[in-house]
Amino acid sequence: MSGPVLAALVAQAAPLAACVVILFWLRQRPGLAAGLAILSLTVTLGAAGYLVAAVAVPNTTVLATANWLPVAEGPGLAFGVLLDPLSTTMALVVAAVTLAVMVYSLGYMAGDPGFARYYGFLALFAWAMLGLVLASNLLQTLVFWELVGLASFLLIGFWFERPAPAAAARKAFIMTRVGDVGFLLGVLLLIRAAGNATIPDLIAAAGPGGSFAPGFTELVAALLLMGVIGKSAQGPLFTWLPDAMEGPTPVSALLHSATMVAAGVFLVARMHGLFAAAPEVMRFLLWLSVITAIAAATMAMVANDIKRVLAYSSISQLAYMLMGLAAGSVAAGFFHLVTHAGFKALLFLSAGIFIHHAHSNDMREIAGHQPGSQRAGVIGLLAGSLALAGVIPFAGYFSKEAVLAAMGEHAGTAVLALAYATAGLTAYYSFRMVFLTLRGGSAHSPAHDAGAHASGHGQGETAMAAPVLVLAALTLVLGWLGHWFAVRLSPGAEEHGALAFGAGPLTALSLAAAGIALAWLEYGRSGAPRTGFVERMPALRDFFATNWYLDRLYGATVVRLANALSRAARWNDQTVLDGAGDGFGAATVGGGRLLARLQSGYVQMYVSVLVAIMAALAAWLMGGGRLP
Amino acid sequence: MVNLPAVLGVATALFGIGLYGLLQRRSLVAMLIALELMLAAISINVIALTTLTGQDPSLGQVVVLIFVGVAAAEVAIALSLFVAIHRAAHDIDVEHLSELKG
Repeated sequence: MSGPVLAALVAQAAPLAACVVILFWLRQRPGLAAGLAILSLTVTLGAAGYLVAAVAVPNTTVLATANWLPVAEGPGLAFGVLLDPLSTTMALVVAAVTLAVMVYSLGYMAGDPGFARYYGFLALFAWAMLGLVLASNLLQTLVFWELVGLASFLLIGFWFERPAPAAAARKAFIMTRVGDVGFLLGVLLLIRAAGNATIPDLIAAAGPGGSFAPGFTELVAALLLMGVIGKSAQGPLFTWLPDAMEGPTPVSALLHSATMVAAGVFLVARMHGLFAAAPEVMRFLLWLSVITAIAAATMAMVANDIKRVLAYSSISQLAYMLMGLAAGSVAAGFFHLVTHAGFKALLFLSAGIFIHHAHSNDMREIAGHQPGSQRAGVIGLLAGSLALAGVIPFAGYFSKEAVLAAMGEHAGTAVLALAYATAGLTAYYSFRMVFLTLRGGSAHSPAHDAGAHASGHGQGETAMAAPVLVLAALTLVLGWLGHWFAVRLSPGAEEHGALAFGAGPLTALSLAAAGIALAWLEYGRSGAPRTGFVERMPALRDFFATNWYLDRLYGATVVRLANALSRAARWNDQTVLDGAGDGFGAATVGGGRLLARLQSGYVQMYVSVLVAIMAALAAWLMGGGRLP
Repeated sequence: MVNLPAVLGVATALFGIGLYGLLQRRSLVAMLIALELMLAAISINVIALTTLTGQDPSLGQVVVLIFVGVAAAEVAIALSLFVAIHRAAHDIDVEHLSELKG
């Protein structure tokens, strides 16, 4: 077994072992559980780092498989690991973000009664995501895809004793499952057509000169895209993501940066060869993601819950990644995925510091609790917002620029204009968040709050601050890796220099600057109204604040239909099936009642019946004794 | 000479009277008396069918003597049961003694 394969197996085995050990034996030992989980992720991070060094060389692919399910007249389904620059880089991102979240959670979740369970679930999440990333077989991808869904269900509903997280977890699970139906169908069709589902084989079969008919490729790509839409919270299936904010904040950081939602984008990047052979689906994806991006950005403009703002920004940024992929550039889309993983984890973790401090998700509440006293949070929030807005030395600028450049070459003007508009809105809502959170104005009882927390959370705050500061530093570093990504992921494609100033970057930068300036006018400057231009239009504000009425639409259509269906099923169950059982029982009881009349208890009646029967018997015997 | 049909007719009449009494009377004692009548009818049948058909007469007589002994024992047991029932229920009317019904 070669070194990279062994490293890939170790990277997957470590979190799995940690998860099993924690959930079975360490439920009562929170400290040990956290230590074990962090140790396992450190091992994974080391293995992933080795993988990146060994495999992330242009045009390197390592495929190691073991036959898992033999198929008649075919090579069979082989599970294994597929290592190439894409999967190894993603594995490193997953391991790094999960480790940061685990360290951070030492402070954030301290004292929670489910502390050990929490770390067990985090390890499960890491294992599922690594399995998905390194899978060599599309069916294997699907298995881990569902495990990722399970882990996020468990973590979103971590505080399941409260109704809102439990409902949010169900919503996340069911809505992503809608898309997964398509994914499953697509995988089954591929296995039927190709005999196996090994990813390089599928891509070769779909590509030019492959065995798949163009129509078939389009169909399969559309089905796979359904799964992507559900998982990456795009198009009509995104409303679960804002609700998923009911989970613990570090979970949101994990969910939004490197795992769960990134899984969908990663799948498109992984299967890009197949998607590229389906131009109609790619055109649809381009439009869908552009519309999702701008829709989510408008929703973020009116949210008052800091985590909801970040959730909408995730949807919007995921749409950017998909735009890059749909425009044909794996490097651009994946580059944005990596930088976004960094700065979105940073934003959530710094938001978590404020939430931990103020015990509220509402930005106006946080502003009233001396947000300035949380140094690491302020640094993290500022760096993350600058990256999100796409301001020049920060990571978001470079990757967004790569996406926009890829679109500029391959997409139409209308799409490009919408994408630029979204960039401006992004800057506006991210700095609306910054100003609303940090420039509170009226501080009430500051001394009391600061004192109470300084004494209680001394060590916890260090654990929370360290990952935030590391990630904040990373936002300045990751952006310069664009060239590295371009060389490794899209070898041969023309590359866009990191600082290739032209009309495009200037437009994006000036739009970002305009957005920030508008946010400053409305929220930042002293004496600002602190209500945005959208919030002054009640109809528009309500429209944006309720997910463009999508939840209401689902409530009126899908949910109502499902409820009617379950009512019919209930009627069938209670009236028809239970009725048959109850009727049988009632008939038995009634028959017994009728027959019990015979047992009158009157001796003389028994005697007369006896005599009558004897007489009849005698008459019958005397008549010859034959049956009639 | 006593002819067989006449004796059997008497026995049948006696059995019918006994059956009527068994079904008609409500007192346990009266029912026991009627039952004794039916037993007597059967005894007559046995004697008549053994002696008047030219078989060994002593066999029938022995059997009937055993019947009488059994009947005496039965009466003793039945009457003591009736006393016990009367003590428990203060009644020996079978219409009122109908607790064992379904």
